[in-house]
Amino acid sequence: MSTPFIQCRDLTRTYTRGTERITPLDKLDLDIDRGRFVALMGPSGSGKTTLLNLLAGIDSPTGGELHVGDTPVHSLSRGRLAAWRADHVGYIFQLYNLVPVLNAYENVELPLLLQSISRQERHRRVSNAMEAVGITDRHKHYPRQLSGGQEQRVAIARAIVTEPDLLLCDEPTGDLDRETATSIMNLLQRLNRDEGRTIVMVTHDPATTRWADTLLHLEKGRLLEHEEATT
Amino acid sequence: MSRLLRLIPVVFRTLRRSPIRSGLTITGIAMAMYLFTGVESMRNGVRDATEAGAGDSMLVVYRENRYCPFTSRLPEWYVDRIERIDGVKAAVPMQILVSNCRASLDVVTFRGVPEDALGASLSPGTEITSGSISDWKQRGDAAIVGEALAARRGIRVGDRFNAAGVAVYVAGILESSEMQDRNSAWVHLPFLQEALRRGGTGGFVTQFNVVVDDPARMDEVALSIDQAFAHDERPTATRPEKAFIGRAARDIVGIANFAGILGWGALVAVFALIANAIMLAMRDRIRDHAIMQTLGWTGPLIGWMVLVEGAMLGLFGGILGAFGSWLTIQYGRFAMTMEGASIEISTSAWTAIIGTGLALALGILAGVAPALRLSRRSIASSFGAV
Repeated sequence: MSTPFIQCRDLTRTYTRGTERITPLDKLDLDIDRGRFVALMGPSGSGKTTLLNLLAGIDSPTGGELHVGDTPVHSLSRGRLAAWRADHVGYIFQLYNLVPVLNAYENVELPLLLQSISRQERHRRVSNAMEAVGITDRHKHYPRQLSGGQEQRVAIARAIVTEPDLLLCDEPTGDLDRETATSIMNLLQRLNRDEGRTIVMVTHDPATTRWADTLLHLEKGRLLEHEEATT
Repeated sequence: MSRLLRLIPVVFRTLRRSPIRSGLTITGIAMAMYLFTGVESMRNGVRDATEAGAGDSMLVVYRENRYCPFTSRLPEWYVDRIERIDGVKAAVPMQILVSNCRASLDVVTFRGVPEDALGASLSPGTEITSGSISDWKQRGDAAIVGEALAARRGIRVGDRFNAAGVAVYVAGILESSEMQDRNSAWVHLPFLQEALRRGGTGGFVTQFNVVVDDPARMDEVALSIDQAFAHDERPTATRPEKAFIGRAARDIVGIANFAGILGWGALVAVFALIANAIMLAMRDRIRDHAIMQTLGWTGPLIGWMVLVEGAMLGLFGGILGAFGSWLTIQYGRFAMTMEGASIEISTSAWTAIIGTGLALALGILAGVAPALRLSRRSIASSFGAV
């Protein structure tokens, strides 16, 4: 039996706000295999975004262990965590979060500026990523000149341009109409199936879970339910 | 290192695509650096005109207790006695006529000298760049005009020009390393005395320019000259030329010293402007920085971008302001003249380069504190602040 791609053991995150102690994630045990498309659901405050941030290395756990691939993410320093994130993680936000003063091409190019590759190679990878999400005709457009769906496609291109093992999506269709949301979900599913990328997606919308092959329910920082699709 | 260099175009794009903020900041910096470079140029001019050099050998003999060319009247025959004093190499009687006795940016100073003493009255290395001394000698109303004065007034050889009621024919233009020469018009002494006859200056001159044979004996020779005429009807006051200019232009020197404070104030303004622009930009870009960190950018890299932004603002503003000021002064050929002594506002590309370098350094300095703060900020707190 192969080792899971993501392993959480007693994963805990505690905050202190004034005198109050908040624990959005409480001793979570979770295994996710490589190449899965996981939908993470639960009510507000259940710890979904906290888990996503820990998986992305944006936040650090206060207890327990988190391994992604061979990397003990819980024990990395800030600098090493940033380097690991740049190489292994693509993050897609609900509100796209493109840099407004950069055009679509430059937004997608941003993560590649951290890598020691030639300008030609950067151009090739950006063009490939933009082609993969179907926005080759929007290179020179600024975020304000794009529709919501187009902005999210640029954000996805930016997330996949470094060819990360792990794609993390924080309600990627939360701000889109149904039709655009469907096309974005199809795109994510294609990235999962065709390119074998592991995807963990936080969602409030039960309709989007049908694209996922694994459904996790969190409540009060604990795993409530773990469903595997039978496809 | 190459990663740091790759981020520079990103910072440049960020500045270019916020044209109003960047434009206003750069304009503010440019204005301050324009002021700073202008003030420094003025101070350079004062320094050049008043600080004695080791090789200076010119003394100016003036009427004692007189401070204006119109009131300093010395008998022309003093020249024979001055030339007999030990240590004097040459003495030239000189009538000075100025179009304006007060401090002004556009004063014409006529220097009347005997025909055979023109060469001796000019500083070594002076060249006639157009026209000739022989043309000057052939006409009684001829003038050799310093190139700075000629450039300021648009005067060329063959022109006639009129100032202070004296009309002269331009026989030549001279170029000299000495700003007094560059800013005067040299005419025949009898012609100038005749022009001033109505005022009763015939046989009298304003001053004597005395060349000593050993620069180390300047003070000793000056004392000998003053002692020689101490009991005459018209006693003299003799000073090295630079000290004479410093005394005549003491008000300008005072203004230049005060302007120095303004220059430093301009630098403080540059620092405050850049710091303010960066602080505002950082506040607006908290979300962008958090996004970049999510993409794998480290805090120190974000801090580096802030430093580069400060440096770029300082550099662009510095280049615009310092070189704009340099060009203005270079082509304006400004000279402040007071009591017949000229002080050029002298600038060099080096002054502009120093000004630009200072603006660049201030830009980097203004970015240090925000850069340090950002480099320590966590992604979570950046997103939390949005």
